[in-house]
Amino acid sequence: MSARAFALRAAALLLLVLFVTAPGLFAFAFRPLTVNGAPAIYNQGSLLALTLSHLRIVVLATLASTILAVGLGIFVTRPSGAEFLPLSRSLVNIGQTFPPIAVLAIAVPLVGFGEKPTFIALFLYGLLPIFENTLTGLMDVSPQTLEAAKGMGLNPRQRLMQVELPLALPVILAGIRLSVIISLGTATIGSTVAAKGLGEVIIAGLQSNNVAFVLQGGLVVALLAVLIHDGMGLAERAVARRLGRPVDEVA
Amino acid sequence: MIEIEHLTKRYGATIVVEDVSLRVDEGTIAVIVGTSGAGKSTLLRMINRLVEPSAGRVLIDGQDTMAIPEDELRHRIGYVIQGYGLFPHRTVAENIATVPRLLGWDKRRIAARIEELLDLFQLEPGEFAKKFPHELSGGQQQRVGVARALAAKPGLLLMDEPFGALDPVIRSKAQDDLVAIQRRLGTTIVLVTHDMNEAFQLGDRIAVMDQARLLQYDTPAQLLTHPAEAFVEQLVGTAERPFRLLSLTRVQAALEPGAADGDPILVSESLRDALSRLIWVGRDALPVVDATGAALGRVSVRGILAHGRSIA
Amino acid sequence: MNTISSRTTAPGMSSLRPSLSLALSLDRLGSVVAVLIGVALFACPFVIYRANRIVAGEGRMLTDALPPPGVLIVLIAALGVASCAALVRNPLIRLAAASVGLGVIFPAVGWSAGFVTPAGNTFARVSPSLGFWLLALSFALLAADALTRLRLGPWARIAAMAAAAGAVALLLVSGAWNDLSLLKEYANRQDIFWREAGQHLWLALGSMTAACLVGLPLGILAHRVRPLRTAILQVLNIVQTIPSIALFGILIAPLGYLSAHVPLAAALGIHGIGAAPAFIALFLYSLLPVVANTVTGLNQVPAAVSDAARGMGLSARQRLCQVDLPLALPVILAGIRIVLVQNLGLATVAALIGGGGFGTFVFQGIGQTAIDLVLLGAIPTVALSFVAAITLDAIVDLTRRGS
Repeated sequence: MSARAFALRAAALLLLVLFVTAPGLFAFAFRPLTVNGAPAIYNQGSLLALTLSHLRIVVLATLASTILAVGLGIFVTRPSGAEFLPLSRSLVNIGQTFPPIAVLAIAVPLVGFGEKPTFIALFLYGLLPIFENTLTGLMDVSPQTLEAAKGMGLNPRQRLMQVELPLALPVILAGIRLSVIISLGTATIGSTVAAKGLGEVIIAGLQSNNVAFVLQGGLVVALLAVLIHDGMGLAERAVARRLGRPVDEVA
Repeated sequence: MIEIEHLTKRYGATIVVEDVSLRVDEGTIAVIVGTSGAGKSTLLRMINRLVEPSAGRVLIDGQDTMAIPEDELRHRIGYVIQGYGLFPHRTVAENIATVPRLLGWDKRRIAARIEELLDLFQLEPGEFAKKFPHELSGGQQQRVGVARALAAKPGLLLMDEPFGALDPVIRSKAQDDLVAIQRRLGTTIVLVTHDMNEAFQLGDRIAVMDQARLLQYDTPAQLLTHPAEAFVEQLVGTAERPFRLLSLTRVQAALEPGAADGDPILVSESLRDALSRLIWVGRDALPVVDATGAALGRVSVRGILAHGRSIA
Repeated sequence: MNTISSRTTAPGMSSLRPSLSLALSLDRLGSVVAVLIGVALFACPFVIYRANRIVAGEGRMLTDALPPPGVLIVLIAALGVASCAALVRNPLIRLAAASVGLGVIFPAVGWSAGFVTPAGNTFARVSPSLGFWLLALSFALLAADALTRLRLGPWARIAAMAAAAGAVALLLVSGAWNDLSLLKEYANRQDIFWREAGQHLWLALGSMTAACLVGLPLGILAHRVRPLRTAILQVLNIVQTIPSIALFGILIAPLGYLSAHVPLAAALGIHGIGAAPAFIALFLYSLLPVVANTVTGLNQVPAAVSDAARGMGLSARQRLCQVDLPLALPVILAGIRIVLVQNLGLATVAALIGGGGFGTFVFQGIGQTAIDLVLLGAIPTVALSFVAAITLDAIVDLTRRGS
């Protein structure tokens, strides 16, 4: 990482932390956007608390999706699950034509308002990229490598744990990153169904016609997403390097 | 010693290997050669049970391979494939350590073994142990592939086109190295190739396969002088035959008493090399010496030709 | 004659083995589908009845949801599909069975709505319930699996999709579903529905067209100028990362400022809140796939082909139009497919900032806890994305064949 790239990341992170912990410092920047003396900084709750609960639901949902999706990906690439492989690939394809908002909206009448429908939507939609990438990662392991592993007497479990999963790891991580980014956005919309999160700031702004709220909500979510995306990308590249593989720079 | 008895493999109605029997003696190299689709890889893969035979059996030192659990069997048999299948996510040292780790060797023993093998294959341990496969040249990858297969000191090594991915210059050196290492370790090797030159260079015995059948299993000389079928004769190449024969014979066989001028020839060189030197330097005869440099006699063009006629 | 070409093919043959097993043995995927069908039939309500559109409903099991002949027809059809799924492996037969199943339960749910609604009651609402959805899911799974295994060509896929769309259209037009709550929601909002549909399509397709007009030249430029490529792709990557509603929010501020201070902008209908920020955001999101795929597509043109074209004296412009772009077309189209599906979904969110589209019904429905209203917005969105994905996949396949 070049010194400039590092400084840029550090500055963005510092800005984000400063803004959610002490938003009052930035009131001057948002004042021009308000009319009729409306508050310039979101005042209906702590930005920090909203950010943390936003992150919490994203992390929990992604964790759950990862466990299930990686498990399913492993299952359908074993001989015992091979029958389900073609269908599961089509399902992933079809599933991605569902907008995440539709999943969220349909979950509400089934489980009520609050965090539950948001969690369900994040979990279900988050499965798709992780599952797809787990499949890609596992199926891209070269047949030669597998043949050699089998020929040396690694049993199926050893082949999975020592060869297939380590080699698929960077691709699986990319899937998790994609899933996290989609979830960050969907969780924002989750505020329309009363899940606690940063979407509240934007929606409060829309309802009270306060552009300052809308902008600061948007900026915090955007910064969060860009930083997480970037950080996870760095982690992926580090893993790929440790696995002794060259990686493309623009992923 | 490996005994293959009536080994057969069928996929539905297709017969890939048909009733093959052969024996490979301890410490020798057997080469299976044939056209593509002849069934040679399948035959090889039935030895370590990567392919389960439809009929027949394989005995290793008298023990039926079916009586040994698959993975355990493979721990005991080295296996090298074309392209080597090195684990891209593991260093050279980790790759070599694969089977010893599976067998539960302790760390110190594994480390010592890695160093020993890297030395054996002329890969400086300090430099290569920590490298990843994609940082190696083709020739280096090949050596690591073989070193990995030999890591747990298997008595038997199976090789499927192990030199197929190398360019000709490196290939010939790699073949010589393999023979040298095999002679030193006494490992039994079964090797599959489609390259006839390779078969003659490496094989103590050569098995010729065509359309799932074993046509002939014999020493290189027998194969040249007494081909069992027209196909074998065609495969060994009629034009090449005398030269192949000469390359199988040492100078010792055509040694004559007497002296000659010129740079001496080693008694352990092949007659083919001797003839080549005689033609090149334009002499009828050259002196012959042993490894210590002591004069043993001479070798002549006429003597080589006479010898060639006598064995053909 | 010393060297004989390459290796034996025997290892690959081991893949022949599974297909040789008995055609009538128990199929594992089919068994799962059969179990699902059983659960749907006997353990879940087929429809849900509500006294009006807001109150909690009560489930009606299949036996109470249809008159006896109807129950019998659905039972026979569903059990037929279940046994077919479990026992028959031929994908054509399975596809036919699944189609028959869908062809029975879709009209049946409309029939059921008429049967369950008390005569003359205009407030009562009937919606499909878990049992129906599970049945539909099982049949669709079976059909999807069969279609996947059949490996249909592009035209056949489009034909299959057209047939399915035609069947649904027939059901809608025939009035067979008119008693369903979803259609009652539609009937109450007929005019708005088509207006929002137009708005949704305008947002999704308009922003896509704009992105193509800008993205293609940008992609060609990025392909030629290497330093520019990294910069452009990195910026677009960052934009793509920003969640939609956040980007809407960020755009609202400058657009609001623009409309307040520049009379021309206001006259053009550009406002902070409304369609403008949504359109611009969708446009920005669309740029990455278009530009990135244009670059990738052009990169994939074999150097030898470009070289040969140059050698034959084609000018730079002729090479681009006659050689490079046609060869890169499948990859570019794949990018456009991503954009279209993505935009159709994202346009739903536009409703939050007053941008209209099908999202209007979704968010209204969430506000009123009226699931049928949510579905009125969600189902057309999903259907449109689905049709777009299948059509563009087929087109990509067709162009790929040509090249």
